[in-house]
Amino acid sequence: MTTSNNSQPQDFDGFWQAVLAELAATPAAPEVEEIPLRSTDFAAAYGVRLTSIGPYRIYAYLSIPHGAGPFPVRYHLPRYGSVTDLVPQGASNGQRREHITFAICVRGQRLADQPYAAAFPGQLTDGIDDPSSYVYRGIVADCVRGVEYLTSRPDVDSARIAAIGNDLAFTTAALSQHVTHLVCTPTLLFDTHDLARRTSAYPLEEINDYLRLHPDREAAVAGTLSHFNLRWLAPRVNAATLLMAGSHGSALDASALQPLVDGIQGAIDVHEAEHSGYRDGRHSEEWLSRQFGMSEPSLPPHWRG
Amino acid sequence: MPRAAADQYVSNIRRPDDIDRFWEDVLAETARIPLDPEVIHDPMRSTDRIDVYEIFFTSLDRVRIAGWYAVPRHHDGPLPGLLQVPGYNMEPPVPKVWAGKGYAALSVAPRGKLRSNRQFNPGYPGLLTYGMVDRNTYSYRGFYMDACRGVDFLLARDEVDGDHIGVTGHSQGGGLTVSTAALRPEIKAAAAGAPYLCGYLDSIELTDAYPYQEIADYLRLYPERREQVENTLAYFDGINLAPSITCPIIVSVGLQDSTCPPETGFAMFNAIGSTDKRMYAYDGHGHDANNHEHGAVVDAFMAQHLQA
Repeated sequence: MTTSNNSQPQDFDGFWQAVLAELAATPAAPEVEEIPLRSTDFAAAYGVRLTSIGPYRIYAYLSIPHGAGPFPVRYHLPRYGSVTDLVPQGASNGQRREHITFAICVRGQRLADQPYAAAFPGQLTDGIDDPSSYVYRGIVADCVRGVEYLTSRPDVDSARIAAIGNDLAFTTAALSQHVTHLVCTPTLLFDTHDLARRTSAYPLEEINDYLRLHPDREAAVAGTLSHFNLRWLAPRVNAATLLMAGSHGSALDASALQPLVDGIQGAIDVHEAEHSGYRDGRHSEEWLSRQFGMSEPSLPPHWRG
Repeated sequence: MPRAAADQYVSNIRRPDDIDRFWEDVLAETARIPLDPEVIHDPMRSTDRIDVYEIFFTSLDRVRIAGWYAVPRHHDGPLPGLLQVPGYNMEPPVPKVWAGKGYAALSVAPRGKLRSNRQFNPGYPGLLTYGMVDRNTYSYRGFYMDACRGVDFLLARDEVDGDHIGVTGHSQGGGLTVSTAALRPEIKAAAAGAPYLCGYLDSIELTDAYPYQEIADYLRLYPERREQVENTLAYFDGINLAPSITCPIIVSVGLQDSTCPPETGFAMFNAIGSTDKRMYAYDGHGHDANNHEHGAVVDAFMAQHLQA
């Protein structure tokens, strides 16, 4: 049986309205505690605990520059895996000099893994038979909760809040109008059901593994994934966007992602990957620094020059 | 643009006189612990071509270690073994790709990784500095042994040709490739990508990025412990372990790598004892070390040494 998820679910808007309503009815109850080990002479680091839907207690790293704010925000959304870093591995720690950085550990990740500890592989198919039970329903809400927390802080420059990451950066920008800038590299949640068929690489292989064992559930899986498809969330994105596409000819190259380009309402730039973490990373840093009106990008030593 | 003369960098690391004895003792202590392997078939991750198993074994300190083991379902005779070692904050992958290329492939989850963290769980960040003031309690003492113990697991398998075992990994996996190849003579081929855990203390001067910033954070808070930290890390630094490597080895670095500075990769490479070694230095690349193209180099290298 082949079922495409390339049709928008009839209850799509209602599904996400319900998630946001549930989140709005859930007090965030923030707890903020300094982390001396990660604080520097230019920025203070904190651990933040928040309640998201469920209710479920999640965690985030927060770094605030010393000095007078408000400061622009780099909101780092987690990649697929158990670990969230204070700032992404390989990025300059110097970005904490002029930016508030915020990195969220969603449910299932380390520091937010009680009572639910996600399995990797496994998380991508956890509860996938129904959109209301799919783990990403809560994960997406966790990420939106992070934006809400940030906008509650007086030291945040509300005109410069960038969501940075993979699919969860995109969903966050789509569901929170407080996100002003988006740097996104789609990997998992764009036409997922079709994408999985074209690869044997993890984590998408998790979908294939699941359907190999449960072929009778294919329609249900496709239906669930369609609720999370970036394709249908794109018209809700009003942020200025840098879309990091895959290299030419890859499954998520600029051509494949054209539906996102067409759907996004904000100004959009597309960068096709050059298979170089240096070139691609530098491009996105330079884009964000221009968008934020910074004098120069925040680059690690080996990226300068 | 590449930074000047990364290949000419001279590490500040000193090599302890008793480093060989230290590791002989750790290896002997590990060897006295029964491996006690457990192999559980995973029907969900298996395909019609590849059998996948969730595996466990016991390592140093009697810590139970998990892994994924993937084997071609149909094969004639013993298979070459391949140990895949993971990056710092990544999950150990199910090594179906390597099994698809004809290897009995083990992807090990050293202590602290998911599924191996019940007895030891310093977290991320945290692993890099845990117990760093004492070489006998430093996190990587057991972590290195967990990777080495993966070799024992492969050697214990009937379907594995014990004379043809290789090791590969990227980033921390590159560092573990170096340490495992240095400490286990059964390794016959090693491919280290963008090696981490080489030039630990050099790196906090060369880059301001995590994970090495964990050490900078620690020393900022505890500057009086610098000498203890230096003494400990000297025993674990890939630059100091590299002279013990005798097998064929390839190393790749990205000249714009801000995570694992290329200077340290060169310093480690220059210290490798094997004469059969080759460096692939990729200009215009960061921590990816051009793995998009270098993967084919690793494939050919492993096939040459393990499948010929």
